Amino acid sequence: MSTAASRPTRVDELLDSRLMAKLDQLDVVSRKIFAGKLQGERRSKRRGMSVEFADYRHYVHGDDLRFVDWNIYARLDRLFLKLFLEEEDLSLLLGIDASASMDYGSPNKFVFCQRLAMALGYIGLANHNRVTLFTFGGEGLQRLSNLRGRRRTQEMGAWLLQRQPGGATGFDDAMRTIALSRQGKGVMVVLSDFLYKEGYEKGLRYVSGGGYDTFCLQVLSPEEVDPGNHGLSGDLRLTDMEDEDVAEVTVTPGLLKKYRENLNAYCGTLRDYCVRRDMTHATVDSGTDMDTLLLEYLRRRGLLK
Amino acid sequence: MTWLTPLAGLLLAAAVIPPLVLLYFLRLRRRPMPIASTLLWRQATEDLRANAPFQRLRFSILLLLQLLALALLAFAIAQPQVDAGSRRGGRTVILVDNSASMNATDGGEDRTRLQQAKRLARGRIERLFGGGIFGGDPGEVMVIAFSDRAEVRTPFTDSRSQLLAAIEGIQPTDGTTRLEEALALARAFTTNVDPDAKDRPVEQPAALELYSDGEIADLSEQVLRGGESLEYTVVGDPETANVAIVGVAADRPYDRPGTVQVFVSVANFGPEPAEVDVQLAVDGVVRAITPKPVKLAAAGIDPTTSLYQPGREQVVFLPFEQARDALVEVSLLHQDDFPVDDRANMVLPPARRLKVALVDPKGFFLREVLVGLEGVMIERLDILSADDFAKLVEEDRADEYDVVVLDDVVPKQMPKAARILSFGSAPPVEGLNEYGIKEHVLVRALRGDHPIFRFADLDDLYVSRMHTIAPGSDVQVLAEAAEGPLVVAVSRGALSLVHVTFNPLDTNGPFGRSLVNMVCNAVEFLGNTREAIASDGLRAGQAITARVPATADDLKITLPDGTSEPVTATDTSVSWGPVRSTGVYELSWTQPGESGRVRRRFAVNLLSDQESRVAARPEVKLGEDRVAGAKASDAVQTPLWPWALGACLALLMVEWWMYRERTG
Repeated sequence: MSTAASRPTRVDELLDSRLMAKLDQLDVVSRKIFAGKLQGERRSKRRGMSVEFADYRHYVHGDDLRFVDWNIYARLDRLFLKLFLEEEDLSLLLGIDASASMDYGSPNKFVFCQRLAMALGYIGLANHNRVTLFTFGGEGLQRLSNLRGRRRTQEMGAWLLQRQPGGATGFDDAMRTIALSRQGKGVMVVLSDFLYKEGYEKGLRYVSGGGYDTFCLQVLSPEEVDPGNHGLSGDLRLTDMEDEDVAEVTVTPGLLKKYRENLNAYCGTLRDYCVRRDMTHATVDSGTDMDTLLLEYLRRRGLLK
Repeated sequence: MTWLTPLAGLLLAAAVIPPLVLLYFLRLRRRPMPIASTLLWRQATEDLRANAPFQRLRFSILLLLQLLALALLAFAIAQPQVDAGSRRGGRTVILVDNSASMNATDGGEDRTRLQQAKRLARGRIERLFGGGIFGGDPGEVMVIAFSDRAEVRTPFTDSRSQLLAAIEGIQPTDGTTRLEEALALARAFTTNVDPDAKDRPVEQPAALELYSDGEIADLSEQVLRGGESLEYTVVGDPETANVAIVGVAADRPYDRPGTVQVFVSVANFGPEPAEVDVQLAVDGVVRAITPKPVKLAAAGIDPTTSLYQPGREQVVFLPFEQARDALVEVSLLHQDDFPVDDRANMVLPPARRLKVALVDPKGFFLREVLVGLEGVMIERLDILSADDFAKLVEEDRADEYDVVVLDDVVPKQMPKAARILSFGSAPPVEGLNEYGIKEHVLVRALRGDHPIFRFADLDDLYVSRMHTIAPGSDVQVLAEAAEGPLVVAVSRGALSLVHVTFNPLDTNGPFGRSLVNMVCNAVEFLGNTREAIASDGLRAGQAITARVPATADDLKITLPDGTSEPVTATDTSVSWGPVRSTGVYELSWTQPGESGRVRRRFAVNLLSDQESRVAARPEVKLGEDRVAGAKASDAVQTPLWPWALGACLALLMVEWWMYRERTG
């Protein structure tokens, strides 16, 4: 479990230059191609001004004569218009669970999420994507919207450093607000442990379907993945960090086995739910090395390329 | 099994076991730990379903082990011991019998009963005071040792070391057993002496604990008072048989004073008939052994009298020549558990006849009687006039005669040292105040046990005229008529006097044998000629008294064990005692004109039916209270608490291991 003292206080603690250099080669992948507002480096479904050819169509009155394919006209004596794929910017939403339950584990889940969000946000900024960060938890929904370009990196880092975990999740409300205030389409990455007593289904339903290519990264601490080897033993009075709920357990091999079964079932249910709604789910251990996670694991899972 | 500190164990169990069970109920012992979410844990364990503070106590092997461990701990603290009857608190009087029968060697492991009794009593003290900080109040304990007399070894105290020392210091004696004095002492210490509340004791009456073989002479005369309790611990074996010498005597026949004849009474106190050889030794040299073993019947209850009757036989040895003084020892040639009564000693003074002076004989009677004794008991009889006697007194030579007989003579001055038999008018001795004459007197009362009335009952004596005297308080009246004393005995330092208040010629005495016998006995008694015929000596508990010359110096008494103690003489008599053990005591002194020390020996024998009956009584009966004895056990009180504690530790280790297995 991490304390405030061990939290990063500077931006370069969230993302060091060495990793930054490696991230320069990466980009956020959207399995869907979304329409952006600004011309970006991304193919859009909307035909546009890019150099990448898409199709032809018949000329109609009023079309820009600059896009008439004069070679076709010479051969066929009919006016065809060249259609190009327009390259658009990508909207990248990074949501971080800042509830009390995230302030747990060694390494701390929240700090891990801060770092991951910083890395993903940097990738987005470096690729001229429109990056929006938001946190949900005790402070309610906090948002930093529409960052573009590398120069916003420091601003993004400072904002992340200001966030403090605490309170209840408020996942449903946060997702609802995000969904309602949606501007365009994009990639949404939700970093959370998804251990919500009220359930995650309702919240995820808001952001499924429509506008977002959603990635649910379920961050769990090593204590949660394998409590038997991380200090949970004997007769314990477990107190829930969010709602003070008390559970008294006597840790036995049988109980640990049962816990692991339950955890696997829970994660499996979440994964199934995500798959059914065309979302991507991945479980991440907060003890995972950031390089490995970004350069290998998330690339494999299709979030980065 | 007994418990030294049952209360402490119970308190511990009551204090610890319910809270442990309660802890299992309340589950208060859990380590608090914050966790991100209890969501999965709630699902994982059925524990989590029950949120109530109390829940059904499920079977838990850990709880069972812990309960067992605690129970063992409580068991250990209660300090269980195998065997013992332990009462605690209050006042306890430990009565240890140290009489002769307690010297019997059937106490196991070659120990005497007294050693066994002392060990048991020490064990009792250890039990009372054992238990350390968990032990309750042991109360106060008093230790009394008793035989024929009782001795407070320590008054009521709560000092364990003092009590142990008091018990350790109890010495064996060869005395008889009497409980009365011990009970009186114990009661004296527990009874209130406050005159305003004399009808109630200070505190609860003491609990009496008797360590004895139960052979107590005056048991039937004692009763337990209200509130008193008696615990009787039997020491010794109820099956112990014993053959004993219960009586000895030696006599020099009148006609042959140079010879000695010895008589022995032997008794069998065992349930089986016995045969035993009796040996006679003189000055350490064996003189005779019974030609064939003396056959003794078994002891048993006499059907006619319903009284216990040992098998008895008399042994008479043939007379043997022994003119000089001698130490005669009679012994039984066999081995039993009680050797004290297998031996008896007699001190045989040299054959001696008396020098007797008869002063101013008035009639034929005394002269004829004394002349008749001449050559038999009397070596020389001098007839003196009153003037001769006065001169003798003046020259202080009256002591030259063994006995002086005054026939109605009132000397002006009495000698300082003499043995005088006087008739008629009272001689001028303090305590004999003559005040008149009475006539026609008959004997009303007589001290029949006194030696001078041996074969002289005086029943038929008629006295026509007597001198009445008012005897002083220290004058012993031996025979009495309604009108006043007839025969009195007085002792004034070295002067011994037997005074007969009538003249023999004023009676019908000369016509019977009683008066003649009385005169002979009186001369014999005064002249100590009876000493010439050895008696069976003294008993343990009695005092040695002897007359020594006024010039005797450096008096010393040598005990049977060889040690000697100085003694001092008062006037011409020596008293030392009471003697505690049997054997031969020797009184010796130096005297001008004597080369070497003058020695005189005294034999102390047991000769007691009561003490020789050594079979331990399984119960004692005080008045109507029968007290069954607890059998003395040689088994050491084995404390069980170390085992319980060890088992407790082992259980805790198992519990720890299981806990590790379950949580690891």
